Amino acid sequence: MSRATLHAIARHYGSGRQQITALDSVSFELASGEFLAVVGPSGSGKSSLLNICGLIDSPSSGRYQLDDVAVDRLNPQQRCTYRRRHIGFVFQRHQLIPAMTVFENIAYPLYLNGMATAQIRAEVNALLEKIGLTQRHRHLPRQLSGGERQRVGIARALIKKPKLVIADEPSASLDHQHAYASLQLMRELNREHGASFLIASHDAFVIEQCDRKISLFDGRRVDSDA
Amino acid sequence: MHSLLIALRNIARNAGRVFSTVLIIAVGLTALLLGGGFMLSTYDSLQEIAMRQQGHVIVIAAGAHPAAGGSHQQLTLSHWQALREQLQNDPQVLRSLPRASFEGLISHGDNSAAFFGTGVDPQVEFKVHGPFLRTTGVLDPWLGEDDIPDVVMGTRLAETLAAQAGDLLTLQTLGKGGQRGEVVVQLAGLYHTGNPQVDNHTLMVNLSTVATLFGSDNISQLAIYLEQPDQALAFKQQLQPQLTDALVQSWHQRAELYNKVKSQYDRIFGVMGIIILVVVFLAISNTISLAIHQRREEIATLSALGTPPWRIIANFALEACLIGILATSLGMALAYGATHAINLAHLMMPAPPGRTEGYPIYVYLSWPHYLATSAVLIAIVVLASLVASYQAVKVKMTEALS
Repeated sequence: MSRATLHAIARHYGSGRQQITALDSVSFELASGEFLAVVGPSGSGKSSLLNICGLIDSPSSGRYQLDDVAVDRLNPQQRCTYRRRHIGFVFQRHQLIPAMTVFENIAYPLYLNGMATAQIRAEVNALLEKIGLTQRHRHLPRQLSGGERQRVGIARALIKKPKLVIADEPSASLDHQHAYASLQLMRELNREHGASFLIASHDAFVIEQCDRKISLFDGRRVDSDA
Repeated sequence: MHSLLIALRNIARNAGRVFSTVLIIAVGLTALLLGGGFMLSTYDSLQEIAMRQQGHVIVIAAGAHPAAGGSHQQLTLSHWQALREQLQNDPQVLRSLPRASFEGLISHGDNSAAFFGTGVDPQVEFKVHGPFLRTTGVLDPWLGEDDIPDVVMGTRLAETLAAQAGDLLTLQTLGKGGQRGEVVVQLAGLYHTGNPQVDNHTLMVNLSTVATLFGSDNISQLAIYLEQPDQALAFKQQLQPQLTDALVQSWHQRAELYNKVKSQYDRIFGVMGIIILVVVFLAISNTISLAIHQRREEIATLSALGTPPWRIIANFALEACLIGILATSLGMALAYGATHAINLAHLMMPAPPGRTEGYPIYVYLSWPHYLATSAVLIAIVVLASLVASYQAVKVKMTEALS
């Protein structure tokens, strides 16, 4: 069953002679629970595609549907609400909120969605145990190692059981061991929650772990399924 | 989610930047509080001078010119003794002082000078002026009912006349109908106010001397001093209906100098205050904008996670509010210390225009003033953060996160 459908997505920056095309008529479907890798060299449009898929940017043209919702037609406020409820992000530099503890960083999406405090505590504690950071729940991000921060970032993305998780180079700032552990964690949570993953990566190991991949070059799909 | 705790952690995390912001606000607040405290003490002194010189409530004849009521040669208030007796029995009244204003020529040997004189009740007159009329008494009792009436005069007038205590001088006046009055008086004492207009040209005699000069016991005004000076307006409204042929005025209706100076100081301190507030606002806007700009990645992350813009702005406003509270607390402490230091140092201001003496710098410490000014500064800090964070949440997430 298709979770996300993108049809002829284009993204241009600037106008006139200065116009740059980051994405040019990109189409694909992402199945429910699928682990899809987006690959390509730097400047190929991976980040632009992920930004559009994560609703933090809008396409210049094309159609984007997420679970029967034409999300490309949402206004900024509706996109914000949709992100809050249904989309999780795993950032390359984990982007934890520096003034929040591990517990607070993971709990934040639930708090935004108005979940009761007791339920937030139960959910976060369960996930902390799963990622092995129970003992460090009061630590601030600067007190964690790179691998630990990424695990917290993954937990934050998945705590609200999103429909779609956007992961931009999730292993880029990690060594092989931590990259493997992070990917395993995402896979495990993917199986448990059924979230679809869209992962941009250069890392061959990460790409191998995905169910499928699409390749971009100069903003166009260049893989055999295109 | 403990927003307050997170805001405090953010403040601690950015301690260096916060410190410079706190210092700007604290110094600005200290300047405002010291300036305001000095302004309040100046107003209070001017009010005190006006009230002591004129009385809290003043009764003049209905026909007298209100602005110059009791001015020289207007001995228009008659039958005042009964009113004075009635006032003396009023528990609200501390004392009532009859004053008869006149003018003329005073001579001592070959020296003569024009003067403005006041006939007073010497038993009570010198009890009301306090530090604003410093007297040097050489004969006792002053302005007594002797065979030769006494006169006390401004120090500079005595210098002009080359007169010394005990000397005999001649007062000459011209009455309303042109009749001449003349009386020999003895210099009983001197007074000094620091106001050249008063010290150079004025003198005081007993009311009975004025009556002798003009052949009338009319006076110019009856100055009423109340137990509660702040009740002047109420007392005036209570007294006026009882007096059909007299006009009752409160002190500030006649305090021309006080009203002019207050209005001028209001403008000067108002403009200074606005300038300080604008400078503080610009400085704070600058530091807060920089701080928020450096956190735009964090803002973009919060936005990506689905945080509504208003919530991000509110978080920054909360941080700004805490910084404001911290800074104004420091500012109040600095102002408190500086106020006490200035007051203990007994510093003097130079003589203002129209005066021959400076006056001590005294700064009032008024908690309502402290709290109101601090609240204004906290509001400015919050406003600066609202403007800066509003700009920050409009930054494209894609740019901030790239």
